[in-house]
Amino acid sequence: MELAQGIVKAAALLGAGMCMGMGALGPGVGEGFVAGKACEGIARSPENASLITRTMLVGQAVSESTGIYSLVIALLLIFST
Amino acid sequence: MVEYIRIAAFLGAGLSVGIGAITTGIGSGLIAGEGAKALIVQPKANESIFRTMLIGQAAAQTAGIFALVISMLLLYGISEAPEGGWFKTAAYLSAGLAMGLGSIGSSYGAGYAGGQACKSVARMPKQSNMILGNMLIGQALAQTSAIFALLVAFLLLYSVPEQPEGLEIGNIIVKSLALIGAGLAIGLGTLGPGTGVGYVAGKASDMIGRFPNEKLKILRTMFLGAAVSQSTAIYSLVVAFLLIFA
Repeated sequence: MELAQGIVKAAALLGAGMCMGMGALGPGVGEGFVAGKACEGIARSPENASLITRTMLVGQAVSESTGIYSLVIALLLIFST
Repeated sequence: MVEYIRIAAFLGAGLSVGIGAITTGIGSGLIAGEGAKALIVQPKANESIFRTMLIGQAAAQTAGIFALVISMLLLYGISEAPEGGWFKTAAYLSAGLAMGLGSIGSSYGAGYAGGQACKSVARMPKQSNMILGNMLIGQALAQTSAIFALLVAFLLLYSVPEQPEGLEIGNIIVKSLALIGAGLAIGLGTLGPGTGVGYVAGKASDMIGRFPNEKLKILRTMFLGAAVSQSTAIYSLVVAFLLIFA
């Protein structure tokens, strides 16, 4: 592999690592916050437990989306350069 | 070349325990602060508050101890004249980065959980055993991401191949930067999930103290929520494995 090609590929791989690392930061905190508040809600009004669990899962799935974008970009950077 | 490998190992050792100590300190401090406040609110329950505080702090220190282990291995586990070229140089630096950054999130999360548990014990001294058990489960969940980081750091320390003779410069740069990228991926990637799971565990400990009859529902929600929050850490682990081995 030539030097220029090597630098491009190396930058792509380093970028993949940073992309997934930083991309996982936000969803992790956000989903934890959702789940924490859901625990609080279920404790306060246990009769609405199924409704709260459903809302928690939908909210977490939406927050998860940016983590999945990062995963897709990281995989693209690893395999398609 | 030997000097570069040793420089990288020493740098990695410093980064690992240096970054790792930041939030281990903050987390233990959070627990101690909440414990002190709890003692003012409920001086009669001082024994159970003190016990919760000490056990919580010990659990919050776990990630810091992982960082210390990696740092010791980098300082004393490397021979006087290490071999392996640039691959090992990058791997040693990356192992330190991975464990240092990886312990930030989980020790802060475990600290938050312990603090909330102390508050909760002060409010409901009779439930102190149940709160303590819930706090320990929650802190163990928050440490999962630190264990991922430890796993990647061990892989980087011991299973990276030596650099073959006569490899072209392009391939050397690619593999070395891929190894550093693996450390950054798992290090930064465990930061969010660790903090998030810690928040869940803290809220669950708080609420179990207030509403002990709803224990099962709260525990179930805590496990479900923590498992979903952990998913991004698992994505980071997959990317780190791909960068190390592919």
